[in-house]
Amino acid sequence: MKHHHSHRDQQSDGVSRREFLHRSSSALAGAVAIVLILPEGSAAGISGADYDWDRHTWVYVIDTTKCIGCGSCVRACRTENSVPEGMYRTWVERYEIPVTGEAFVDSPDGGEHGFDPVTSGMNVGKGFFVPKMCNHCRATPCTQVCPVGASFTTRDGVVLVDAEHCIGCGYCVQACPFGSRFINPTTHTADKCTWCYHRITKGLTTACVEICPVGARLLGNRDDPDDPVNEILATRRVQVLQPELLTRPQCFYLGLDMEVR
Amino acid sequence: MTSENPLAHSKHVFRAALLLLIVVATLILGRLFFVPETWGEYGFYRGAAVGEHRAKPVRFGGDEACEPCHDAEYAEHAVGVHAPVRCELCHGPVALHADLEEGEKLADMPIRRSRELCELCHRAQAARPTSFPQIDVREHLLENGGEVTPDACFDCHDPHSPY
Repeated sequence: MKHHHSHRDQQSDGVSRREFLHRSSSALAGAVAIVLILPEGSAAGISGADYDWDRHTWVYVIDTTKCIGCGSCVRACRTENSVPEGMYRTWVERYEIPVTGEAFVDSPDGGEHGFDPVTSGMNVGKGFFVPKMCNHCRATPCTQVCPVGASFTTRDGVVLVDAEHCIGCGYCVQACPFGSRFINPTTHTADKCTWCYHRITKGLTTACVEICPVGARLLGNRDDPDDPVNEILATRRVQVLQPELLTRPQCFYLGLDMEVR
Repeated sequence: MTSENPLAHSKHVFRAALLLLIVVATLILGRLFFVPETWGEYGFYRGAAVGEHRAKPVRFGGDEACEPCHDAEYAEHAVGVHAPVRCELCHGPVALHADLEEGEKLADMPIRRSRELCELCHRAQAARPTSFPQIDVREHLLENGGEVTPDACFDCHDPHSPY
């Protein structure tokens, strides 16, 4: 009875314990929400006379029927981007598929020093090279898993790493289904293909596209109707790597074989 | 009981309010200290990172970068079958050789007169497109009466414009 009595007394004061806790937790939640929302700005972005990222959506086309496996792209990428030895932002895989039996796949040093002929004596039914790199996926798992927001997609569709902010936990390296990321042994942060963001925002193309002697690689702007990539995507049959993962890769392959993953 | 001062238990409220204030102040101060300046400028990332990527140095300049000084080689190369092969594929990036903005030469460009360089593209491979010219160097030299030396290719072929 005493208990009930005092409870009523508190109610007569205006605030019960339950109500107090409820109100104060709401207030706390509100304060936290305000603090979290405050710094969200609405800047115009990277736009100016030289480059406007709202007028660009970058995509990449790789023609596996043209690639000769010289490895020039791998070497060019390394020098252009100071990629440490043994690490690859792009690499070339060789596929030799016999008429019957298992496919042979290799990528010695990422194809950087070219390929020696395979001397297994197998009866190759079809053979081809497949250059690989970051697919700059529209729905990419790598940026989603980053616990600190160091991986992000720019407004023009390029997936980048903020090396200043990255803590090197390696979650994104594991999340990428294409093996496109690595931990840079010099900086101890995540590293990956940037589609040479420093070049493409200055009117140049990527180092790998620039150096390819057979035109197997092409970078283009989806937002420019006159860009050659748009004709390819509109008229040719293209495929992406591992479409079943629904990451929406933005590297489109011509002449891709089902053996390629 | 009903005559009790309504502020008799107010110190509980003040304690809770103080605690709340400390928590909120810590959050705000913590954010000011830990959140980078340009965070959230364009999205859930540090806005300045975009500019930092853009500011990285360009090393490959394209054939046009070579033309001003090497116009003879440029002209010969431009009309040959090796026209699609960039100067920098064999010679390396121009940035290691010249400062294009200052117009200054920094170092000699490496010239690799080696068979291995040619073989990167032209050594016969089952995986290469059949339409692409490729050879077994030993067979090719045997057929044409050459000797297997490290720079054998250059006895007959000018890499700027082969054939």
